[in-house]
Amino acid sequence: MKLEVKDVRKSFGDKEILKGISFEVESGKALGLLGRNGAGKTTTIRILMDVFHSNSGEILLDGEKFDRSKVMIGYLPEERGLYPKRKVLEQMIYLARLRGVDKKKATENSLRWLKRLEVDEYAGKDLETLSKGNQQKVQLASTLVADPEIVILDEPFSGLDPVNSQILKDVVNELIEEGKIVIFSSHQMSYVEEFCRDIVIINHGEIILSGNLLDIKKEYGKSQLVVSPVDGDLDNLKTWINNNLSAYVEVTGNNRTDVIVKLKDGITRMEFFGALSDKAAASGIEIEHFETYKPSLNDIFVERVGEEEKEHEEAEEGDDNE
Amino acid sequence: MNKLFTVIDFEIKSYIKNKSFVITTVIMVVLLFAASFLPKVFDLSSVTGVKTESVFSGSDDGEDTNESDEAGTDFYLYYDENDTLVSEEIANELFSEIGIFKKAENKDDMIKKVTEQEAKGGFYIKDDMHYEYYVFNAEMYDDTQMMFETVLANLHKQNYLIAHNMDLAEFAAEYEALPEGDVNILGKDASQNFWYCYALVILIFMLIIMYGVMIATSVTNEKSNRSIEVLVTSIDAKYLLFGKVIAGTLAVVIQAGSILAAALVGYSINHDAWNGKLDMILDIPAEVIISFAVFGVGGFLFYAFAYGAVGALVSKTEDINKVAGTVQMVIMIVYFVVLFCLSKPDGIIMKVCSFLPISSYSAMFVRIAMGKVMLPEIIISAIILYASIIFIGWLAAKIYRMGTLRYGNPIKITNALKYIREKE
Repeated sequence: MKLEVKDVRKSFGDKEILKGISFEVESGKALGLLGRNGAGKTTTIRILMDVFHSNSGEILLDGEKFDRSKVMIGYLPEERGLYPKRKVLEQMIYLARLRGVDKKKATENSLRWLKRLEVDEYAGKDLETLSKGNQQKVQLASTLVADPEIVILDEPFSGLDPVNSQILKDVVNELIEEGKIVIFSSHQMSYVEEFCRDIVIINHGEIILSGNLLDIKKEYGKSQLVVSPVDGDLDNLKTWINNNLSAYVEVTGNNRTDVIVKLKDGITRMEFFGALSDKAAASGIEIEHFETYKPSLNDIFVERVGEEEKEHEEAEEGDDNE
Repeated sequence: MNKLFTVIDFEIKSYIKNKSFVITTVIMVVLLFAASFLPKVFDLSSVTGVKTESVFSGSDDGEDTNESDEAGTDFYLYYDENDTLVSEEIANELFSEIGIFKKAENKDDMIKKVTEQEAKGGFYIKDDMHYEYYVFNAEMYDDTQMMFETVLANLHKQNYLIAHNMDLAEFAAEYEALPEGDVNILGKDASQNFWYCYALVILIFMLIIMYGVMIATSVTNEKSNRSIEVLVTSIDAKYLLFGKVIAGTLAVVIQAGSILAAALVGYSINHDAWNGKLDMILDIPAEVIISFAVFGVGGFLFYAFAYGAVGALVSKTEDINKVAGTVQMVIMIVYFVVLFCLSKPDGIIMKVCSFLPISSYSAMFVRIAMGKVMLPEIIISAIILYASIIFIGWLAAKIYRMGTLRYGNPIKITNALKYIREKE
């Protein structure tokens, strides 16, 4: 199966929330839908779920108009929501039946998922009596209770301890292996990196970055290098590079242990490495580590969204001046 | 359609499994049914007017009462200055309905004993037209003086007749003669139907207010606990609202129906023991019960949808009253108008109310029970009511769909209507 979102636009009143969102995701692969709060992720998901209607654009499944009534979707919303005063099993069966599963199958599935997520002992208890983590697992179980073909998970790991997170990770991996379409929205980039082959970053209703995560990382790492000092004094190293190697590189930032530099146009790695070795020896600077920069998704997100924010603010200031 | 039944099933369980719902219903049913057997258990002849064979009917307790009266202060003193009453024995015969009368030695002694609360009151009788009444604390509704005056006035008439050589028995027979006649009511007896109409108007009003708020709360709770986020992605929002409203209506029918049935069946079993004394409330003709069911259920559905929509406009249950005010105001106005016009079921106000969907639920069945109403009028009113329910159900579903995913401050009804005109 291949789900395609094509140029979807949505406005509430005069405010345009989505300005032409497009992406695609295939069975057995997970897509990371990323963005800051209010970027338009939830609106995109709600349009996918047919809760909102888009103003324009289309959603296709295997090239045909996406008919939600023919495909089972499991949605785990960011704002968790079940009935606090109803029994766990009772409400899971209810939700399964609302999605068209018969009562017998709904009961079997509910018990199976509760057991898989290790919360079957709470089946007969009111939801409000469970811990936050167990409520979260019940919520996930009710997302999957109808055996959906498309699974949309919005911040699934929030509120889970490491043990429960591992259970959830295993479940998500199983879903991907089973060939489900998984759309994964989270601010916890490490989980996105772990599961998602492709990512889409939305900012102010527009896609500012999308594609294969490995390719994106490679592209962002291209012409960037990391240099780490033996003494760990990153500020001193940054100043030294700026004073001595500015003809070769530009300092773009640092992480916890390394200074990140970008090669200037026409400069090769070997040229920079030669200059670094010579000048470091002459200045008595000891370099411990030197390699190609491999940015984390978090780095890419912060950098890309940060750039976009600047452009957005400048554009808004320009509009105000006019 | 199956999904609608699933919602109804889930929602009705929230009522049936609610302890206060079950306990209230069971207690009311048991109490009312048991109360209908009271005349068979206790002597209620003072209420029913007939002496029935009851388990705890005390034996000939008239004397006991007198004994206790003798011992206590439950008697009146009188000082008869001119022997108007002749003797204490005659005085007690004349004033037997007021209480026991004892002769005082003099006026001062009588006043003293009343002041010290040894006697309930005292009468200083000058003659059959003049007296003074002494009482320590006058009660709000003390009819002793009125009863005393009636007896004294009769005594005066009697004395006059005797003084003029007239036969008292003959005079009384002619003077108080009443024509004899039978009333044959061929239509409706408004005086007989008044009280159960009154009770049913109050009942339906209470049910709408009580359950309407419960439906609104149920909708708001789903917003506040965010379960709506999952629900609207699983089922069309209109099924959710219709399911809730229908479940609420069924809960009302179950609760009010069982309570009403317990009272009516119990009373019908013990009708003779009650000597028909509660006919005015509990002997409800079948056509009135049917019209109450048709219009009552219709009215309930009408307002239940309105409350459901109101619940979707707020995110917190404490905000419900902020937006429910308009609906409640309409219900209150209808309630008071119908109650005030209950004695004029064929008046123009009642006629208009019986066709408006906001008020026909109570006005029409009042007209059916007490007034003159033609079958076509009833049918037209029912069609208007149920067509309005379809319209308000459709509108409420739109508002519900629009309001369910809007959080924050309560949405004004005018804004809600504006939003639903815009395509989401």
